[in-house]
Amino acid sequence: MTNDIPGIKSSDVILIIGSDTTSAHPVIGSRIKYVVRHQNVKLIVIDPKKIDIADYATIYARQRCGSDVAVLNGIMHLIIKNNWYDKEYVEERCEGFEDLKKVVSEYTPQKVEKLSGIPEKQLQEIAQLFGTAPTASLYYAMGITQHTTGTDNVWSTANLQMLCGNLGKEGGGVNPLRGQCNVQGACDMGALPNVYPGYQKVIDETARQKFEKAWGKKLPEKVGLTVTEMLKAADEGKVKALYIMGENPVLSDPDINHVRKSLEKLDLLVVQDIFMTETAEFADVVFPASSFAEKDGLYTNTERRVQRLRKAVKSPGKSKEDWVILQKLANAMGSDWNYKTACDIQDEICSLTPQYGGITWDRVDEEGLQWPCPTKEHPGTPFLHKGKFARGKGLMKGIEFKEPNELPCKEYPITLTTGRVLQQFHTGTMSRKSQGLNNLAGPMVMISVQDAETIGVSNGEKVKVISRRGEIEAPAFVTKRIGKGTVFVPFHYREAAANLLTNPAVDPVSKIPEYKVCAVKIAKA
Amino acid sequence: MITKMIIDDKEVPFDQGQTILEVARANGIYIPSLCYHRKTGQASKCRICVVEVEGMRGLQTACSIQARENMKVVTTNDEILTARRLIVNLLLASGNHDCLACEANGVCELQEVAYKLGIEKPAFIIADKEKPEYDDSSEMIVRDIKRCIQCGRCIEGCNKTVVNEVLDFGYRGHETKVICDDDKIMGESSCVQCGECAQLCPVGAITDKKSIGKGRPWDLKKVRTTCPYCGVGCQLYLHVDENTNNVVKVTGYEGSLANDGALCVKGRYGYDFINSKERLTTPLIKENGKFRQASWEEAINFVASKFNSIKKESGSDAIAGLASAKVSNEENFAFQKFMRKEVGTNNVDHCARL
Amino acid sequence: MPALAIAQQKNKNYLSREDISQIAKIFDVSESYAYGVATFYTMYNIEKVGKYHIQIDTCVSAFLVGADAILARIEKKLGITAGQTTKDNLFTLSKIQDLASCGTLPVIQVNNKYYENMTIKKTEALIESLKAGKMPESDNSQNIVSECKILLKNRLNPKAKNIDEYKKSGGYQALNKALAMMPADIVGKVKEANVKGRGGAGFSAGIKWSFLPKDDPRPVYLIANADEGEPGTFKDRQIMEYDPHLLIEGIAISAYAITAKTAFIYIRGEFGWIADILEKAIKEAEKDGQLKHLTIIVHRGIGSYVCGDETAQIESIEGKRGNPRVKPPFPANLGLYGCPTIINNVETLSCVPFIVEKGAREFKKIGVSGSFGPKIYGVSGHVNKPGVFEYPLGTPLKTILKTAGGVKGKLKAVIVGGLSVPILKADEIENLNMDYDSCLQANTMLGSGGIMVINDTVSIPELALRTIEFYAHESCGQCVPCREGTQLVKSRLKGLIKGLGTKEDIDLIIKTCQTITGLTLCPLGDAFAIPVKSMVSKFRDEFESLVKY
Repeated sequence: MTNDIPGIKSSDVILIIGSDTTSAHPVIGSRIKYVVRHQNVKLIVIDPKKIDIADYATIYARQRCGSDVAVLNGIMHLIIKNNWYDKEYVEERCEGFEDLKKVVSEYTPQKVEKLSGIPEKQLQEIAQLFGTAPTASLYYAMGITQHTTGTDNVWSTANLQMLCGNLGKEGGGVNPLRGQCNVQGACDMGALPNVYPGYQKVIDETARQKFEKAWGKKLPEKVGLTVTEMLKAADEGKVKALYIMGENPVLSDPDINHVRKSLEKLDLLVVQDIFMTETAEFADVVFPASSFAEKDGLYTNTERRVQRLRKAVKSPGKSKEDWVILQKLANAMGSDWNYKTACDIQDEICSLTPQYGGITWDRVDEEGLQWPCPTKEHPGTPFLHKGKFARGKGLMKGIEFKEPNELPCKEYPITLTTGRVLQQFHTGTMSRKSQGLNNLAGPMVMISVQDAETIGVSNGEKVKVISRRGEIEAPAFVTKRIGKGTVFVPFHYREAAANLLTNPAVDPVSKIPEYKVCAVKIAKA
Repeated sequence: MITKMIIDDKEVPFDQGQTILEVARANGIYIPSLCYHRKTGQASKCRICVVEVEGMRGLQTACSIQARENMKVVTTNDEILTARRLIVNLLLASGNHDCLACEANGVCELQEVAYKLGIEKPAFIIADKEKPEYDDSSEMIVRDIKRCIQCGRCIEGCNKTVVNEVLDFGYRGHETKVICDDDKIMGESSCVQCGECAQLCPVGAITDKKSIGKGRPWDLKKVRTTCPYCGVGCQLYLHVDENTNNVVKVTGYEGSLANDGALCVKGRYGYDFINSKERLTTPLIKENGKFRQASWEEAINFVASKFNSIKKESGSDAIAGLASAKVSNEENFAFQKFMRKEVGTNNVDHCARL
Repeated sequence: MPALAIAQQKNKNYLSREDISQIAKIFDVSESYAYGVATFYTMYNIEKVGKYHIQIDTCVSAFLVGADAILARIEKKLGITAGQTTKDNLFTLSKIQDLASCGTLPVIQVNNKYYENMTIKKTEALIESLKAGKMPESDNSQNIVSECKILLKNRLNPKAKNIDEYKKSGGYQALNKALAMMPADIVGKVKEANVKGRGGAGFSAGIKWSFLPKDDPRPVYLIANADEGEPGTFKDRQIMEYDPHLLIEGIAISAYAITAKTAFIYIRGEFGWIADILEKAIKEAEKDGQLKHLTIIVHRGIGSYVCGDETAQIESIEGKRGNPRVKPPFPANLGLYGCPTIINNVETLSCVPFIVEKGAREFKKIGVSGSFGPKIYGVSGHVNKPGVFEYPLGTPLKTILKTAGGVKGKLKAVIVGGLSVPILKADEIENLNMDYDSCLQANTMLGSGGIMVINDTVSIPELALRTIEFYAHESCGQCVPCREGTQLVKSRLKGLIKGLGTKEDIDLIIKTCQTITGLTLCPLGDAFAIPVKSMVSKFRDEFESLVKY
């Protein structure tokens, strides 16, 4: 998030696109509902499903899955046409406006209606409400990123916020909601193939030298492989060993059948986890790890707030904290790691990661600290891009709409989109150990009333969903909240794994797979 | 300008807009209150916070009167104590407030006031009370309506903190009760079981079902940490039974910037995995398609030598690693350092994209 | 709330859960909120009712004149007890608290119609007629005397409801005069006249008006409090039903004086037909060009005594449960929809035209020092000719009782200002004059001027029980001392009457009432604690005689 959670109260209009906020980020959902109900903030929700928070919206619009760029361009088209954009801001702080203007000028409400299914009039209402708001913020989650056009989508959200002068101020911002407790921290810490901690590029000579000096060893120069590329490389025999710490690609990655095949081809699969996950079952060696409740350390949340993790219970059996296992392994491979506590590692993080330069366990103790926080005296940064952008001028870029990789066709006429439900989490490794949560939410296929009628299923009856890659069976949840021609399947359940169906096609830049759109057919089971 | 007032002959500072109750609390002066809560605000329903304010006729509720410069307040005298005793007695007499098996025993605010006033049992019984209602239809939350004192905190919380808009007051007078939707049982209502109501309840009327009988508050250690589910980073307390090494309850941490005490159904009630019998407790090595237990030494050495040999035979880039969005910063740092420095590859990623 | 009422009307007088849930959706409120509102007010029927919903007033004044006997007869005749519906769904029978018809008791309400001056014989005839599918005409005649000829001058003129007739006797001249004045001058006049609030609290209307914030950008609202619900009180309806333009003129002038562009008349829901009369009269006045500066909205209550409280009334108009608000802030600062709001009683507002037309000095010629102007006294209970009488403030109680045909039987006690004031024993009323100060000196209050006369056939413990039952029924339930305190006192009184009580119970009642006084969120706590305490302490021997152990 460019902005912080407490800043929600400073918005006049909030746009949620591609985030089932009350299910996936309930507490932020509550904050948004609060300002809508009690501070007269206006809410716009654009989502293929009429998600719960849409009940609080001034305007709810249902777009066709994968048409976000068209929708955002359409909104910008109207905002520019009606002069609702922030000219001064665009002139002073941004570049590339003419390019953007040229591209979006094509996206008339008529055209956007055709592409997205959002009626002309509704698009106009959205543009006016958003464009004329003094301060508007934008929230999104995986509904924006998990597309083959994910980067385009993200860029479009940034275009819109720059256009309206909403970046770099309280209550504004482009606010991606991070889906896991420390996905932000994992990125910040350089658990990515192209960057070191603090987003210092591995191809950057200076950065590399800095790390080489600190660690006393020559480091690789080439950008590494992403998850999906690793699996592909494993399938091709190029990657022979895979070390997985606390991840479960057998449920979380697209086209699970392919994932399984790839893992089987490995010479060595090491899985370090707290449970025998679907992935761990494929492993050659399993290391038992400590859970969050059994360790000290730091997590970084979606608003870049670094917060403490504190040890509450002892690790069961012989299980150990992940860093302890890593240290053992490093030393067994001939190295000389000598961290006494996780806090020692944090000291190293401080010295090598500019954004974390001033972040110590002591300082984050009570309220946490939001990076960037370069020095021990720095108070942290609630919102980014204040005054000017990190790169100087904000770059606007005209983005053309592209269709998703796999569209419904005669044989697979239905669009499948995937995501989360409130009561379960990710691949269920944690949440599905709770009987209560399982009682509340089991596998399901959310299906429109019309489609249910067509295939002759009623609520609770089993329905089969089949894609080019696999098939699953789960009880139907028949509802008006989803539109005709679309089904939604949560990906938490191994017994009805949505990712058996999904398309592994990825965004060319971010390498994020297109979980949100693929073509399926449905039938009564 | 420093503003000050006098409570029980003690000069205390205050901020504009603070109520007498808030000033007293900020200065360590005890005024009981059953309905006021920082998050749900003033309700003036329990009337137990009455004090005497110089220049004002009759007793005043400390939760509703704003502090003024040089205001003089008396928090305890015979009249005040009589009023407080009556209120506690009325509450004790009108509901089922036996503490023995009550989940709130030890954290109950009514019990606390009764204790401070030296009330062992109600001074009288109100005969015609018949409200035997116990709603355990919800998966995670139990409502013991006989213990409800109708302070309204749960309702304010449900509507103003988490904005799930399930609870409200229904009926009137002595029949007044907290209802879910149109007076449905909780398990059939639109409640999403975030548990905010249980967290705010000053007595044992709304409690966490899973924690019942699992430990007295004074026997449990509270450890503040960060929720392991989504990226909001809610701050919470794990309540730990140190004898059994179990987490038996989770509550939200009040005052934190990310969540201010609120949690969702997963964060509050999805903690079973920590104590799960299915946890991995020993390293495992697969032999002939089956796992066998191994010592750390064996498992580590096995992997280390494998990594070394693959490195040698196929190069560093034949090894790849996935870090985790669920482990700490320190551990992710250590992981990428391991991959880059010890293995010598940038093939490191995690499921940020998934 | 009106939506709920319409839904009920359209569905055989029954408010279904489906309708409530639909309405919640339409108004974008939670289901629990809507259901909470629907279950707060007694006039919403969330249970199905029969074709004829018979409700009999069994409150204190009715109790004095034998309503219980009529109830028993109806129960016998229909074969059901109160709270039930006959098998053929023709009749539902309920007890109801105070219908503000104390001068014409016993009273039975059938659906929206009042049947006053009932006897057992008339009741039987009524039920027979209903069985035959016919709602008979009702007889609501009563004893009326207007000494001052200001507030009740048109009470006996059946044509006065008509604007032309009203204008014939000088109506709307005061308004015309007022509209030519500066608003502040009118406030000054009303202040000078020192007209005290006739609703019960007795606070000077002019001073109340002057609490409005100056130069405030928010709109100002005026509310005419027509929720007449205090047992023993039935005065405001005399004005509204028979001389509606007097009230409308009073509102029109007052609204102009306080710069309100919108005024509400919050009328208790049981007075449905009076609300119709007012709406018709407002239309007439609008058509006649009298209300160019103002919109008047008649807002019907839906069954709640506590909505007579200013802040509860505001909540109720806002469509919420009628829970009184915490004061401060006071309505003059933060009232309806967060705006400055003035709430005055119907009778108070009806004094305003006279003050404007004739001047404060003339007004002050009526009455006694500190208590100026005319007052409507309603006399009920054990008198020969109950009714409403307009006298100057300060008129001796004896004079009023004489007008009411004198006491029936031997006088035991009098409640002089509606049920919520301390009871007076026979010897305490000897020289009592009916004005604010004299009543205070006699350790009671003038209140609403609802005089209930009690003779020696009445058991004071029974009376005390009826009293606490009324307030327990009407408690909003927000605060502990009222919600639970009423239950405690009720249970102890019941125990005493059943012969199960002790002397300690008597002390407990007195002590509880004493502690509750001033302790509750709204004045309802005082309203039961003060009179019950006075009944128990003044007639302690009667209570003690019930103690067997």
